[in-house]
Amino acid sequence: MPSMVYKNKVRVRDKYRIVGFISSGTYGRVYKAVGWNGQTGDFAIKKFKPDKEGEVIQYTGISQSACREMALCSELSHPNVINLVEIILEDKCIFMVFEYAEHDLLQIIQHHTQPARHPIPASAIKSMLFQLLNGLLYLHRNWVLHRDLKPANIMVTSKGEVRIGDLGLARLFYKPLHSLFSGDKVVVTIWYRAPELLLGSKHYTPAVDLWAVGCIFAELLSLRPIFKGEEAKMDSKKTVPFQRNQVQKIVEVLGMPTKEKWPGLVHQPEFAQLQTVPYPRRDSGSAGPLGLDTWYWNTLRSANYQEGQPSGSPGQQGLDLLTSLLDYDPTKRMTAEEALHHPYFTANGEKVSANCFEGMTTQYPHRRVSQEDNDIRTASLPGTKKNGLPDDTLIGRPTKRLKE
Amino acid sequence: MAANYWASTQRLHWQFSRTELQDILQHLENEDPALTQQYPLLDRRLLSIFYNQQLVKLAKRMSIRQQALGTAQVYIRRFYTKVDVRNTNPYLILTTALYLACKMEESPQHIRVVVEHARSLWPDFIPSDVSRLGECEFYLISEMNSQLIIHHPYRTLQELQGRLDLVQDDVLVAWSIINDHYLTDLPLLFAPHVIAIAAIFLAMTLKQSSGGQQAAVNAAAYLTDSRQAIREGSSTVASNDNVPEKRIGSFVKWLAEGEVDLQAVADSMQEIISLYDVWDRYGEKTCKDQISHVVKARGLDK
Repeated sequence: MPSMVYKNKVRVRDKYRIVGFISSGTYGRVYKAVGWNGQTGDFAIKKFKPDKEGEVIQYTGISQSACREMALCSELSHPNVINLVEIILEDKCIFMVFEYAEHDLLQIIQHHTQPARHPIPASAIKSMLFQLLNGLLYLHRNWVLHRDLKPANIMVTSKGEVRIGDLGLARLFYKPLHSLFSGDKVVVTIWYRAPELLLGSKHYTPAVDLWAVGCIFAELLSLRPIFKGEEAKMDSKKTVPFQRNQVQKIVEVLGMPTKEKWPGLVHQPEFAQLQTVPYPRRDSGSAGPLGLDTWYWNTLRSANYQEGQPSGSPGQQGLDLLTSLLDYDPTKRMTAEEALHHPYFTANGEKVSANCFEGMTTQYPHRRVSQEDNDIRTASLPGTKKNGLPDDTLIGRPTKRLKE
Repeated sequence: MAANYWASTQRLHWQFSRTELQDILQHLENEDPALTQQYPLLDRRLLSIFYNQQLVKLAKRMSIRQQALGTAQVYIRRFYTKVDVRNTNPYLILTTALYLACKMEESPQHIRVVVEHARSLWPDFIPSDVSRLGECEFYLISEMNSQLIIHHPYRTLQELQGRLDLVQDDVLVAWSIINDHYLTDLPLLFAPHVIAIAAIFLAMTLKQSSGGQQAAVNAAAYLTDSRQAIREGSSTVASNDNVPEKRIGSFVKWLAEGEVDLQAVADSMQEIISLYDVWDRYGEKTCKDQISHVVKARGLDK
């Protein structure tokens, strides 16, 4: 038979030596690799899980999310977006080779909770946030919604450069042929999910990513997820449940959204459900919603963020920015571009450092790489692994978002 | 990138000059001269019409949108700059291209459904085993270096519709001219906005004159001169006999004042006009027989 049989020209093992296993998820597994045979440097290789029929791996068609990630990563090029080196299709598997990033925001946050909680310096947070927004602005200008921003997906190199990673849920939003909702019913890991998504909005916008940025900002300050709800699971009929607990967590801090502040509220599909969310009322003995201001100043106080302290302080400007990012109304929520021009970043004419570790003495531990499972070919598939922890289960994080 | 054609892989890696494209295709044929000689093929443009007709049949059965169809057509064209047709089963290639295009245009179709429809059209050429289509998908993506996002002229057409106050008729004709341009090498030669402008201009000129194609040819030639004329402040432009309608004159003026490559627009118009000439020579059977012969003789359908 002539060449209608697919043969890859480049082989993973000819260019990369796998040194260990980093993490696994619904998509497959990520390995750390070093280049050889002329390829130099460290790499993260994302191997997409092939479908299996019995014990034999078959070509079953590439998942849409893998297609999107391959296509988008091939187009994207920005200092704050993870850099794709190449894609190798081999042995019925997809291998996406990325530059290696030593850290991620989740790992950094966790480092600051141990052994005792100690704050991430305000200047570092400012740089992380600025770089994150810069990458996000690039994505949005190119009509790409990320749709899964969370600390574990924000990579940081050893030089302190922030790289937005995991575009597995990202997609173009320029005049979609169908409403965005019809493709993926549930997007964004629950703690970072914007209110309009929680209320069932079908035509959502880049604003969903900005809500997630707000949540990440808050988490960098307090070292805990700000809205740590419990995810209601999909029932057997695969209807999308109303995430009452998650909404409640948001309401406890921000108060109930009102149609005065968010005129579109009443048109949200789950508006009726919202009325059933237990509301912390002042008059019924509870203290009422905390209010973002109170949350913020409490957080700053307990973390000992103060002007004059070594950690510095994000100050009033930080609160202003956070408030604008966590605006209930997606049409009023600050855009990435507006956020980058916010006084939080621009006041005093200082330039935000492109190295978020600048001036820091903290040494973050290297990414945990398991040595036992480093055969990229024969390694067991996710779910049957013997070693290494999936990134999301480290501290009881909610399971990865449901897809398609 | 995705929304920015100028930084896109389409512009950086899949846009060629005519000479470059000619060299690439020549190189493919030279790779295996014996094979090329053993299976002489018709004019690529005729084969393109054939592939397209097959693809449209499949797309219609599955109610695929035009944009996904366009994406599939560009995939096929790109793929055949990397691989000689004689080494492939075009029926499987175009089925796979459509399957992949639907995913990329966010209207996915199940692999089994695609294979079923394709088999009902070409039972002798599409293996029932869906994994063959899955394998072919790897082949396609690999040859295209995973560069799968396609910029289409439709977007420019929609944008210009409002800006230039185009009448509905012109838009419809321009739209179908854009549909036709996928049958030519134009997607590999020019930027989508150039194609869109060529289509609009053709739509205007084809309609306004009983001379039809001749008017379009004149218009293309006229366009080439017009920037020069406008730069020189000549007032003769608007009164040119070949293009009597004022509306067209103002469109050309708008064009000439912008940064659009008018030579490229004129070239695109010529290419489309000559497609319509080639089309007159097209016969489905000859193409079909030729393709069947190569595929069967070389066992590419297995």
